[in-house]
Amino acid sequence: MIYKLIKNLLDGTVSVVQRLSDDACIPYDPANTDYQNFKAQINDETAQLEDADGNLMTPEEAKAYVATLP
Amino acid sequence: MTTIVNGTTGITFSDSSVQNTAAIGYRNRVINGAQIVDQRVSATTAVTVNSVTKAYATDRFCGTGIGSAGVFTLGQVTTAPSNFINSLKATVTTADSSLAATDLYRVMHLIEGLNCADLGWGTAAAKTVTLSFYVYSNLTGTFGGSLINSATNRSYPFTYTISAANTWERKTITIPGDTSGTWLTTNGIGISINWGLGVGSTYSGTANAWAGAEYYSATGATNVMATLSNTFYLTGVQLEVGTTASSFDFRSFPQELAMCQRYYEKTYNQSVAPGTAADLGAFFTVRIDSVGGGGTAYKVTKRATPTVTFYSPSTGTSGQARNYSTSADTAASAQSIGEGAFYVLAASASNGQGLGVQYVVSIEL
Repeated sequence: MIYKLIKNLLDGTVSVVQRLSDDACIPYDPANTDYQNFKAQINDETAQLEDADGNLMTPEEAKAYVATLP
Repeated sequence: MTTIVNGTTGITFSDSSVQNTAAIGYRNRVINGAQIVDQRVSATTAVTVNSVTKAYATDRFCGTGIGSAGVFTLGQVTTAPSNFINSLKATVTTADSSLAATDLYRVMHLIEGLNCADLGWGTAAAKTVTLSFYVYSNLTGTFGGSLINSATNRSYPFTYTISAANTWERKTITIPGDTSGTWLTTNGIGISINWGLGVGSTYSGTANAWAGAEYYSATGATNVMATLSNTFYLTGVQLEVGTTASSFDFRSFPQELAMCQRYYEKTYNQSVAPGTAADLGAFFTVRIDSVGGGGTAYKVTKRATPTVTFYSPSTGTSGQARNYSTSADTAASAQSIGEGAFYVLAASASNGQGLGVQYVVSIEL
């Protein structure tokens, strides 16, 4: 499973991650089960994360990023 | 028969239904209990349940299985008892005749905490409820299920008996309110209702008693997964306050659909499965300066911020919008997603170009 960060062109922030297996856009809402799964999969290294430019992050970088999320 | 008013049993109507509480309003806490709303179009392509991930078929009803051994499918069918037009059918496509302790095959319905907060579960004021449903199977015997909380540490296993094969039977289970544990009264999972199709010993407990454990069925229940092509049909599901099952609370289709859309909606026509190449109902917009596309509002406000998936109206390809100015698909994603709206980001399109997307918005429990 691979996820990609999507930058919001309105303000340049990232508040959505795209699950590339089905292209679902997942918002950063702790009540969203897809978001819960995204964080869990990054933390247990069963998924990878690309930055907004498409560069694959290391597991450590991905976990550090996820740690900053709500 | 005449209508009877009795101070103890309540009102018995001429059709033999009984109402023992003032049940004006939201009597049935189950959404789509009659299985009439099927936005994923499981009637055409049944959903395969082969993992622990919830697989939704008819709206608000899903199944979970395990990653190996048994597999079943779920889909809307027109086999139904009198006065109903649909049911949810589970069919075993790969049998699991020897359940491991942790095997868990089930059909489930999740009630949002906001829709059962008045039950007072987890408090001394917990109300008794009655679960009723119609069931039909090629099997007979004792079957099981449970009610369980969000934390999966308070559960009430129950049993019911199917007396005749391939015959609709209505089952009624009265459950005393749980005065212990934590039951969410928020937009999270309030009550999970489970019908066991094959539940191992780890997740099976003593029937008709609250337990501080994760039980999804009762000990000794029939293993529906035991044999290939076994079937299990379900409809007319109702959970209501009180000790008696009243007649099924039929809601109008638009009312039921709107209630389902709090958790899942699509732009496609109701009979068209997401991922189909179809223009009808698609959202059309124009690329505007630096943003990429216009905003759109949902038909119904969601219980929380939902996941959004786009499909090209022309090809059905996910993650794509159709650029009608170039007659080609272009990558698109949803941005500024809220509980009521989002906007379309199509970064590669040029200003003034026309874009179209079909989309699915999902925030299931």
